[in-house]
Amino acid sequence: MNELRRRFQPEQIRELVLIGLILALVLFFSTQIENYLHPRTFTRISTSVAVVAIVAVGQTLVILTRNIDLSVGSIVGFTAYATGTMLAANNDLSPPAVVLMAVGMGAAMGAFNGVLVAYGRVPAIIVTLGTLAIYRTMLVEFSGAKSVLTSELPRWLVNLPPLNAFSIGDVEIRLLFMIALIVVIVFQIIVTYMAWGRRLYAIGSNPDAARVAGFPAQRMVFTAFLLSGALAGLAGFVFLARFGNITVVAGQGIELKSVAAAVVGGVNINGGIGSPFGAFLGALLIDIIDNSLIRWLAISEFWRNALLGLMILLAVATDTVVMNRLRKAWLRHELQTSSAGLSVEQEGARHAT
Amino acid sequence: MSDPSTTSRPILEMRHISKRFDATQALDDVSLALYPGEVHALIGENGAGKSTLIKIMTGVHQPDSGAILLDGAPVRIHNSQEAQTLGIAAIYQEPMVFPDLNVAENIFISHRNRGAFVNWGKLHRDAEAILAQLDVRLDVRMPARGLTLAAQQAVEIARAISLNVRVLIMDEPTASLSAHEVNQLFRIIESLRNKGVAILFIGHRMEEVFRVADRITVLRDGRVISSRLRAAPEELDAQRELMIREMVGREVSEFFAKSTVPRGNLLMSVRNLGKEGVFSGITFDIYEGEVLGFAGLIGARRTDVGLALFGIEPADRGEILFEGRPVQIKSPDHAMKLGIAYVTEDRRGLGLTLPMSIASNITLPSLRRYLSALGLVRRKEEQHTAESYRKRLMIRTPSVNLEVAKLSGGNQQKVMLSKWLNTQPRLLILDEPTRGIDVRAKAEVHHIINDLAAQGLGIILISSDLPEVLAMSDRVLVMREGRQMGVFSRDEATQERVIMAAMGQKVSPNGRPQSAPATQAVEL
Repeated sequence: MNELRRRFQPEQIRELVLIGLILALVLFFSTQIENYLHPRTFTRISTSVAVVAIVAVGQTLVILTRNIDLSVGSIVGFTAYATGTMLAANNDLSPPAVVLMAVGMGAAMGAFNGVLVAYGRVPAIIVTLGTLAIYRTMLVEFSGAKSVLTSELPRWLVNLPPLNAFSIGDVEIRLLFMIALIVVIVFQIIVTYMAWGRRLYAIGSNPDAARVAGFPAQRMVFTAFLLSGALAGLAGFVFLARFGNITVVAGQGIELKSVAAAVVGGVNINGGIGSPFGAFLGALLIDIIDNSLIRWLAISEFWRNALLGLMILLAVATDTVVMNRLRKAWLRHELQTSSAGLSVEQEGARHAT
Repeated sequence: MSDPSTTSRPILEMRHISKRFDATQALDDVSLALYPGEVHALIGENGAGKSTLIKIMTGVHQPDSGAILLDGAPVRIHNSQEAQTLGIAAIYQEPMVFPDLNVAENIFISHRNRGAFVNWGKLHRDAEAILAQLDVRLDVRMPARGLTLAAQQAVEIARAISLNVRVLIMDEPTASLSAHEVNQLFRIIESLRNKGVAILFIGHRMEEVFRVADRITVLRDGRVISSRLRAAPEELDAQRELMIREMVGREVSEFFAKSTVPRGNLLMSVRNLGKEGVFSGITFDIYEGEVLGFAGLIGARRTDVGLALFGIEPADRGEILFEGRPVQIKSPDHAMKLGIAYVTEDRRGLGLTLPMSIASNITLPSLRRYLSALGLVRRKEEQHTAESYRKRLMIRTPSVNLEVAKLSGGNQQKVMLSKWLNTQPRLLILDEPTRGIDVRAKAEVHHIINDLAAQGLGIILISSDLPEVLAMSDRVLVMREGRQMGVFSRDEATQERVIMAAMGQKVSPNGRPQSAPATQAVEL
């Protein structure tokens, strides 16, 4: 039990609860919706979750450092539109070059955020609220209010969404979903096993201490924003592949969804706690509810947004109430049983009398 | 104690350092040498230049003139990272740990040579080895969030050791520690000394300074006034008095004893006050003109009783009679209406609105009195009130419109006192009113407490500074882990009795302490 307690900190329990919740929801909807447990449901949800999952991973990196990136929706829209236009003009561009371009554009926009936040010391919420509008306006100007149409895009791109990476029985793992999964796994490994990742937690955990701890905290915050931008750029490419038709409002609202996914997935808005995997689970949970409710109750687009808002509030509320309780329970336990005391202590007490 | 300055070479030497900020000469020709295996204490009032000196040693500030020598060779230290590479590290009053990382990660967070990937097994083993060197036992896999201040400091020291620190600067490390946590810290300092680390120890509590230091240097107004090896035990008291005089530059007794004020009417009776899982069985009476001290170790839950009496975290059992009438204090608003004021220990967090002016801070809880018919604040009257408190409590500031953030700790404390006195309370709860403020400001706060008691206020004085509680209180209530251990009258309240009660020891008939069955280890 002690070993278990030590292994599973309250944060991990949260992820387990999330997995349980997802399973319970799927079970519930399967009793309500005909043919719900059909492989097609999985395909539908997995393709629709890819964009938000990728963005949510970048968002997580930023939130871990006690910052926030509200510009990701505009970056997704901008890169989707820009790469789409370029492909429409020149159908012969090689796929890797296109992906690289999308990631590069996103990274540049993220770097701009990062410079202002990390070196300019402007609060992230202000910087990214500003660039949210600026990047969107850039898109509107750049597009001249024209849209990218599926018919103008090269075949390989239009054929990308239904392409399978592999399939397990009837369940098909789409390539776009696979990309999202790889992003999640790579960044999960980075934050768990790389010094750089652990220091992200340190920064969000105690920014003052991070500044004097002898690692480049400023540069790391900058890099987190750069990566968030780059991942939003990658998501922009996935967005383009998935929808084909790109208008000037493309990607709007993804900032809200990515924050929601991270927060629902257990990333603490004050930094220092959470993981890309958690954010992925959060994105999945939101998407399942979103997708299934449409089929179940045929609810409208407006209700879906309200629902998203409600889920953020719920997640934060449980975070403060439940997690605090869990942490206290853990702490109490540690104080009682483990060797939490310094060994010098008992002797110290004896000396003092 | 042999004098290392005759036998070995200093690790770090500051020579003729001067530093000026605008109009203030923060340091004026300061020279100081830190020897291996020597604990060098630096004492002085706030504003004497101690922090500036530390900041120069750690590369935060650059000196205007003078030289820094490391192993005899001149060096320039441009930032804290460079200081760290040179083997100079500092730990502060508030430990700089990362609550969400575990103990081992906290120790090695600054290491650059451990590779890009974390080898968790090795990390934990290495952390255990370093803690063992310090004679400290801690679960290295436990997140730092749950650690006590003392344990967090141990982690910070372990971090410094892991970086092969040769000079360790400790800036008021004991300010928030309980008595036996201080003992632990001193044991760690002892083992560092044996390793040959040079330690610069900055402290306000004279007893501790003279217990731990090999050499003591007095800094006043940016100058070194004296530097002496610690005297032999029999001359220690005389040396301490001398050096306190040197600190303030005039005769000041370290403690202002409570003057006897005739006890007035019964102000408040508290019976069996408790709060689930926090404290229980608190019973006392307090009279007008009386100072009731609350003594205890950290974790004794004294502050929680204060918070309950002021309605911030209301009690859930027991009764309170205020001037004979039974009351239930459910909110600070309610408490203020009854005439209770609570001056928090958390100056920066709960006590003051730092970016606002002194005047605005003072009138904040009583703002209603300053509103005109239109509901606007009458600035003139606000200024007038602030000015009167500035004179009365000797707040040192060029103007009452200055931001509170710019004041020294002692003056901030006085602003906080003004703020609550302006609510015209009958009962004043003071929580650690002199923590982290310098000797002179401390004496002034003691003087103010006496004045207020003489005016008939009842005062509850919560303080971890035992000599202070004993000197200032008419009676002392001792708590331990949420329970009331006894109330001692002024004559009964000796240092030994109070400490024993606070640590859960009973006094046997022959006066020897006996261990109580309760475990002491939980305290940490």
